[in-house]
Amino acid sequence: MFEDIPVEVGVVHEGERIRRKDMYLELGGPDVKEKFELVRVLTPDKIEDGKIQVIGPDLSQMGEGTSNPFGILIEVAGPKLEEAIEGVLERRIHEFSNYLQGVMHLNQRYDIWIRISKRAFAKGLNSFTFVGKVLLTLFKNELPIIEKMQVTFLTDPFRVEEIYREARKIYDERDARARGLTDDEVDTFYGCALCQSFAPSHICVITPQRYANCGAISWFDGRAAASIDPKGPIFPIEKGECLDPVRGEFSGVNESAKNKSLGEINQIYLYSAFGRPHTSCGCFEGIAFYIPEVEGFGIVHRRFPDPTVNGLPFSTMADSTAGGRQVEGFHGISLEYMRSPRFLQADGGYRAVVWMPSEIKERMKENIPADIYDKIATEKDVSTLESLRAFLEEKKHPVVQRWKKELVAEPVPEGGLQVFTAREVPITQGGIRIILKNARITAEKVILQPLRPQKPKKGEGRG
Amino acid sequence: MKIGELKTDFGNIKDLQLSIGQAKEEKWEEPMGPTPFPSLTTLREWDKKLLERYKPFYMPFCDMCCLCTQGKCDLTGPKRGACGISMPAQQSRTVLITVCIGAATHIGHARELVTSISEKFGKDHPLDVGGHNVEVEAPLIRLVCGIKPETIGDLDEVLDYLENQLTQLLAVTHTGQEGSSVDFESKVFHAGMIDQVAMEVADIAQISAFGFPKAEEETPLIELGMGAVDTSKPVILVVGHNVPPAVNIVDYLQKTKLTEEVELTGICCTSLDISRYTPKAKIIGPISWQLRYVRSGVPDVIVVDEQCVRADLLIEAQRIHAPLIATNQKNCLGLEDRTNDRPDDIVADMVSEKVPGVLILETNQVGEVATKTAIQVAPKRKKMGFFPKKEELKEIARKCNQCKECRRSCPNDAAIPEAMKAAGKGNFALLEEMYDECVGCARCEQACPQKIPIHSMILGAAQEKVKEEKYKIRAGRGAIQDIEIRQVGGPIVLGEIPGVVAFVGCPNFPKGGKEVAEMVIEFAKRRYIVCTSGCAAIAAGMYKNDEGKTAYELFPGSFEAGGVVNVGSCVSNAHIAGAAVKIASIFARRNLRGNYEEIADYVYNRVGAVGVAWGAMTQKAAAIASGFWRLGIPVVVGPHGTKYRRMLLGRRDKEELWYTYDARTGDKVYTSPAPEHLFVAAETKEEAMVMIAKLCMRPNDTSKGRAIKLTNYVDLHKRNFGSIPDDVHLYVRTMADVPITMKDEIVKMLNEKQWKERTIPDPTLLPRMIRKAKVKV
Repeated sequence: MFEDIPVEVGVVHEGERIRRKDMYLELGGPDVKEKFELVRVLTPDKIEDGKIQVIGPDLSQMGEGTSNPFGILIEVAGPKLEEAIEGVLERRIHEFSNYLQGVMHLNQRYDIWIRISKRAFAKGLNSFTFVGKVLLTLFKNELPIIEKMQVTFLTDPFRVEEIYREARKIYDERDARARGLTDDEVDTFYGCALCQSFAPSHICVITPQRYANCGAISWFDGRAAASIDPKGPIFPIEKGECLDPVRGEFSGVNESAKNKSLGEINQIYLYSAFGRPHTSCGCFEGIAFYIPEVEGFGIVHRRFPDPTVNGLPFSTMADSTAGGRQVEGFHGISLEYMRSPRFLQADGGYRAVVWMPSEIKERMKENIPADIYDKIATEKDVSTLESLRAFLEEKKHPVVQRWKKELVAEPVPEGGLQVFTAREVPITQGGIRIILKNARITAEKVILQPLRPQKPKKGEGRG
Repeated sequence: MKIGELKTDFGNIKDLQLSIGQAKEEKWEEPMGPTPFPSLTTLREWDKKLLERYKPFYMPFCDMCCLCTQGKCDLTGPKRGACGISMPAQQSRTVLITVCIGAATHIGHARELVTSISEKFGKDHPLDVGGHNVEVEAPLIRLVCGIKPETIGDLDEVLDYLENQLTQLLAVTHTGQEGSSVDFESKVFHAGMIDQVAMEVADIAQISAFGFPKAEEETPLIELGMGAVDTSKPVILVVGHNVPPAVNIVDYLQKTKLTEEVELTGICCTSLDISRYTPKAKIIGPISWQLRYVRSGVPDVIVVDEQCVRADLLIEAQRIHAPLIATNQKNCLGLEDRTNDRPDDIVADMVSEKVPGVLILETNQVGEVATKTAIQVAPKRKKMGFFPKKEELKEIARKCNQCKECRRSCPNDAAIPEAMKAAGKGNFALLEEMYDECVGCARCEQACPQKIPIHSMILGAAQEKVKEEKYKIRAGRGAIQDIEIRQVGGPIVLGEIPGVVAFVGCPNFPKGGKEVAEMVIEFAKRRYIVCTSGCAAIAAGMYKNDEGKTAYELFPGSFEAGGVVNVGSCVSNAHIAGAAVKIASIFARRNLRGNYEEIADYVYNRVGAVGVAWGAMTQKAAAIASGFWRLGIPVVVGPHGTKYRRMLLGRRDKEELWYTYDARTGDKVYTSPAPEHLFVAAETKEEAMVMIAKLCMRPNDTSKGRAIKLTNYVDLHKRNFGSIPDDVHLYVRTMADVPITMKDEIVKMLNEKQWKERTIPDPTLLPRMIRKAKVKV
């Protein structure tokens, strides 16, 4: 397949790192202002299939040790291709170019950073044509929906700058479109069954406003994957009738869940952590966990190592969350979902969030309503539920309103565990008076199981 | 509890005395599985499923049985012994004895540690192997015993169980017990399983008590190699596995502020464990470095504990006038017990060479005696070694009469006679080369009728190499964090991380330890998760790349794709099996508690892990391998591993062996022969690497995962043997499994083999795991 390429091509080279002293030259990277990679879907007549073009000096004409302005423009056509899939195809440039031995590709879009190693150059990798050939072969083999494809490498600084400006515009439009697309505007959601091998009843429902739990698959990715590999683990779900716009219940989603979980899960609310919440696999990026003591949600992400405000670290709560079950109040989420206006919509969204790690709070600054931002505590503000309660009261967090409706809380029994009580001694036979004299009871082992503390009633005063 | 008189609603109680043997608050809510504390036969059905696929292939080391006075009995062909035993049964019986010895060693080691830690820290000392990052602190104990230990004292119950099972297992090997080889093999698995639990007990106890690294990803880099020792200082050498005496030495050095004045060096697992206690300790090398280091004359005093210590170490120590201190009941070496004597008296007797060494069975005295002896002996000894000098080598070599007995006795068939001939002519290059491949057994010297000190000559010729032996190894980190498991669980189970490869075991390498390091680097580069432990962990660090870096400096120490994770000593092996088990429990939420069969089924079908014991030699190594087998994790050994007498080989040509249930539908479907073998020897490093990549495949791999695993398998095969493997078609289930960069050649092969597409099941060997549909689908 790659006999005419002077270096090896294969997945095994994907992780290769090229250090500065081993590099022949650099394309893009931090020292270069303008660089990009872009995939465009065109009509077939505008593409000369298999054409590889280099505009500006080729690798052999660039100096050793230099950092160069650089752009890759890939244009494709095919009856099933549409503009919305461009971003998905574009991301494969990173993967495929890294298959080349002696080529390191980092980042994406206007951040790309490519290095060619001295060894690869010496072996004969001295022209972009080789890279183009590899990209053409891999794209067309791996993605048969591409019927025609041409590749252009740009190194002429003026031409790079020109197309770079255009590319920036396209990226912005793409992002705006992705963020602007709502669940109401589409008829099809996507399901991902990839995690069923560890959570057999779990299906991720991917909508424009709800990323997959792992944070790796957007609705656009789902759509691309389903059309590229119809037999694969990602499949379309007809949305069906909207049964509850607030909780996010759809007839098609319910039907699909029922089939794919063999009847284990029959109903799903996409935008709530209560009632019939979306199931959680094992690879969710974060957890929204309900804190009954303050009637609000804490959020914790996987990389937060310390105990959260309820005393439990991510790992412990993840145990309660995972496994493809519908667990009320423990909800596996992606971080991207936290940017969605549908985020826990039925439970109050950010108005119900009371605690999150400072790192996440900072990252979500733009997405958290400004009036609530300072009212959400982090590990820097509080470390116990009592201090959280005080914090929320002081900041007048909206959840405080709910407390006033509360009756006086039930007193928590004090004094820990009793070994046994008279009532529990199994000699209470009605009417008979039993007197034990000089009795001696020996137990090899006594197991004391605490009664579970009563959970506050859920699903009230919310919505 | 005593109650004088109690008046209650239902009656009066007088002089009630209530005594409770053990009161425990149970906080573990996980329901108990079907097999807590399994007996010899509890998991027999599971074993039989594995043994049906992986039929034992026996390679008798000896055709006779000599175990009772009716014999010896010839067991060749269909013959049976006087007791009625057949050759297969006798071979598996020997395997069982071997594995029992290994398990007994770990159980004994664990018991001793737990007892001494209980005395020093109290039974209530909490178990802590990684704080919040490791909530599943003892996955194997939970899995096998169904209990969740929280304190050192909780481990007693586990040890009681292990000792009980070991006794039962050893009883099985008596004349007139088991007659079937399959039942013997099932008991081998059982012995392997209890061995794994014993290792876990030992390591979590010592991590908790001595403050070893608690699952941190980046532990300190420890100096490694003979060249790393500062020979201007008094030098203590510790050898063995049981760390408390060495801990006492470190404590004494700290207490007396002598840490900077005395070099503490170690060989084998005690050195790995003491470097987890203080990063100042230096590791010399694996057990095969014992003779080298002692003969170099560098150590001033030698402290031995237990396991893998050379039986002639006292003789070797005397030759360099270094006193030896034995510290363990299991290894007294004929020395006088001086436990109750005053330390200064003991030191005086050793320094004056009145005695060659002493036995001290009280750990608390070892530090003082060893340190004082080293300091007093050092100036007298002046590091007297007895490597022949280069000018002497030629003279000695001329004594060789080329009888070739040395080469015949060498486990690796080293060309010693040829090297001697060259050395006799003043060319020492061949002798010097031998240094890298020699396993340090010195059998050549025993065989030589001319009494030529062959091993010492190799060392003498390689003096320059010895000086340059300076490496870095990352200190053993212990457990794998729960969070790491959660991060990699998905990619491993889906196959996108191509595998977890664990390099473990002894240094009986066919061509030196460099091959282990090369394999570690190869698989880490290919983004496998690589784990190391014991002597293999040391060997993996004794090789530098072009940049002068060892595998531990090149790759991160985290349990992730491309990580090289040194878990620690031999007993730390338990964390590698533990990680596989934790994937099933933490990541996939399978119940762990007393639920062995289901978890093993999960690991076998989904977790692409392979153990590699490239220099496996001891009975403990056999026991460690057996523990992996029962969990469905294949093990590859080097050529010497065939001397364990049998392999567990799958037959890819027998299609009927490779059917599995699809848990979604209940159908029995053909999967690939994955993994093809459960226990297999490779003759060369190249063969091993191809086999490791192949054995990482699992029925559950997604297409993307299978494509990645096949890429590595095919690529390694092409590089090492120059061709595509002839069984690729068996591993391609759908076209999406074919690696894109190899499409042309593989599709051509599929066509030739009349390949047909098949489904990818939700695989299980257990009919009870088939899911019952609640609706018609």
